[in-house]
Amino acid sequence: MSSKNRTLPKGVTAGDFDKAMREIRAIVGAEYVLVDEEPLAPYNKIMMPVADAQHAPSAAVMPDGVEQIRKIMKVANKYRLPVYPVSTGKNIGYGSAAPVERGQIVMDLRRMNRIIEVDADLCTALVEPGVTYQQLYDYLQEHNLPLWFSCPAPSAIAGPVGNMVDRGVGYTPYGEHFMFSCGMEVVLANGDVLRTGMGAMENSNTWQVFKWGYGPTLDGIFTQSNYGIVTKMGMWLMPAPPDFRPFCIQYPNETDITKIVDALRPLRIAMVIPNAVVIAHTLWEAPCTPVKRTDYVTGPGAISDEAVLKIQADHGIGAWNVYAGLYGTKETNDANWKIIEAVAAATGGKIITQEQSRGSQALQYRFDLMKGKPNLGEFGLYNWRGGGGSIWFAPVSQAKGSETLKQMKMAKDILGKYGFDYVGEFIVGWRDMHHVIDLLYDRSDETQKKNAYACYDELLHAFAKEGYGMYRANTAFAEKVAATYGPVKRDVEKRLKKALDPNNIIAPGRCGISL
Amino acid sequence: MIIAAGAMLGGAGAGAGQWRDGVQVYEKVCSHCHEANVGPVLKGRQLPVAYIERVVRHGNRAMPSFRPSEIDDAALADVARLIGAGAPLVKE
Ligand SMILES: Cc1cc2nc3c(=O)[nH]c(=O)nc-3n(C[C@H](O)[C@H](O)[C@H](O)COP(=O)(O)OP(=O)(O)OC[C@H]3O[C@@H](n4cnc5c(N)ncnc54)[C@H](O)[C@@H]3O)c2cc1C
Repeated sequence: MSSKNRTLPKGVTAGDFDKAMREIRAIVGAEYVLVDEEPLAPYNKIMMPVADAQHAPSAAVMPDGVEQIRKIMKVANKYRLPVYPVSTGKNIGYGSAAPVERGQIVMDLRRMNRIIEVDADLCTALVEPGVTYQQLYDYLQEHNLPLWFSCPAPSAIAGPVGNMVDRGVGYTPYGEHFMFSCGMEVVLANGDVLRTGMGAMENSNTWQVFKWGYGPTLDGIFTQSNYGIVTKMGMWLMPAPPDFRPFCIQYPNETDITKIVDALRPLRIAMVIPNAVVIAHTLWEAPCTPVKRTDYVTGPGAISDEAVLKIQADHGIGAWNVYAGLYGTKETNDANWKIIEAVAAATGGKIITQEQSRGSQALQYRFDLMKGKPNLGEFGLYNWRGGGGSIWFAPVSQAKGSETLKQMKMAKDILGKYGFDYVGEFIVGWRDMHHVIDLLYDRSDETQKKNAYACYDELLHAFAKEGYGMYRANTAFAEKVAATYGPVKRDVEKRLKKALDPNNIIAPGRCGISL
Repeated sequence: MIIAAGAMLGGAGAGAGQWRDGVQVYEKVCSHCHEANVGPVLKGRQLPVAYIERVVRHGNRAMPSFRPSEIDDAALADVARLIGAGAPLVKE
């Protein structure tokens, strides 16, 4: 490439870069190495409120196997090339397939898309990073296997390995994805191949059924980190229940969040409700219904509370909309349904059953997600503000009503200050809540872009001051988010990096870890 | 019962991660938004093939970009041609 403005990895000369690319082409084949700007465009599409250039890759390589990755690691060490792995590369709103730092080489693992094994008796699967949820879904259907998995909202185009590695969540009883993963294969920076848990043992047949192995359990250090490239992952599948009863409960007031959380927490902890309950605000439901923002707001600034009330009335949307399901036999679900009805009645909620939900786009995609049926219904969110700007602000909260109300108010105030709407939901773990807010802005408007950056920054620091940390963060804020967790943790992370990747080859800067 | 993928590779196009043709790409990827009231309807707009290919590779505002590792050039050309020609791509 002759352009003077070419993007190069930090500290690597053009001559060395070209040499390295020649060596990598010899490993994976020329058509699987991209270095020119135009073909690299799909690796630079971001929704974050920073310049594209900040996350521009210098190259993309698409290996098709562990041996190729090991060889690429050798070249990367020789030339000190930073390599940023992605699996399906759909971490949209958190950085997509673009590298955390400008100039890194994206290692795109999408071609490694083999479903290696499904054990229908033990309900386990072993998959490669390029497998998508849609692919796995089709596979199970084609083989008539009554097994479900849990997936995130962009399920049709994302995949289990990338999602689990970033510790994503879904909506079936197996919704805490890292928890329900079992066994990883990881290529380390020096090219060694580590199998975690029971997989470390030759001839083991328990890799996908027992996670812990012997000695320290290492799986966690390969999530939200840059200590290795995950090339296989075991995951647990759930037998399709004989009876599945998804439902929605709508509540009329914003302050109802307190009693909702306090009433549902015991049911969740006791596993009467086995899946991750979602409590979605009006403005999450509206765009997915779909409702047009421009019908309710004119001019700049955040939407008013009055307009939000009007949307609720016009479209039959709650201030809060609770989604959960019962998974069991007809008999157990009949019994538990009575509990749900009693809780809804006692808290002033209106139940919408599957039958009553027909025709509602917003309810349908949620009910599908609760049985692991891939769709992209939640992308409706992006029609709210338009302009393709989005970053997820995602603090962790206790599953206590007073806490959720406090976080909601804090977030709404800060968002409003910058002219942004509160588009949020709470996803209930067992005892925590992932409070997920989509900071939607028009990325083609420079002022909104600047405001979105400043807004996230203020949200982050205001929440950290109250002791609230992020469950996950976008790549533009990786360093700042890592800093909120204090120096000792970061020092340990750095020492691990030094030990496992002394040349700082794998995704330097991811989650704030670098040498 | 254990099913190893080796036994079924080549059997199922999507299962093997390779696309049979543009129709399948449309069904498994595009239709999730463009037939679901999320993204704009594409049919009947006579969109030029080159335009469709560019939007798929670059993304466009909220529309994600798709890499050649996800949708290869041949499959993309086929789906773009079918959309451009207004071919019936979903069961109606
Ligand atoms: C509308 C919308 C709704 C969403 N809803 C959800 C949701 O419900 N739940 C949820 O969890 N997320 C959600 N997301 C965020 C995101 O899209 C998903 O989490 C998605 O699964 C992540 O993309 P991916 O699976 O393609 O992972 P990738 O983009 O492939 O990977 C994510 C990150 O992990 C690292 N990584 C990936 N693969 C490897 C590897 N093999 N080895 C080492 N490191 C690796 C990389 O740093 C990468 O950037 C949503 C996004 C949108 C736009």
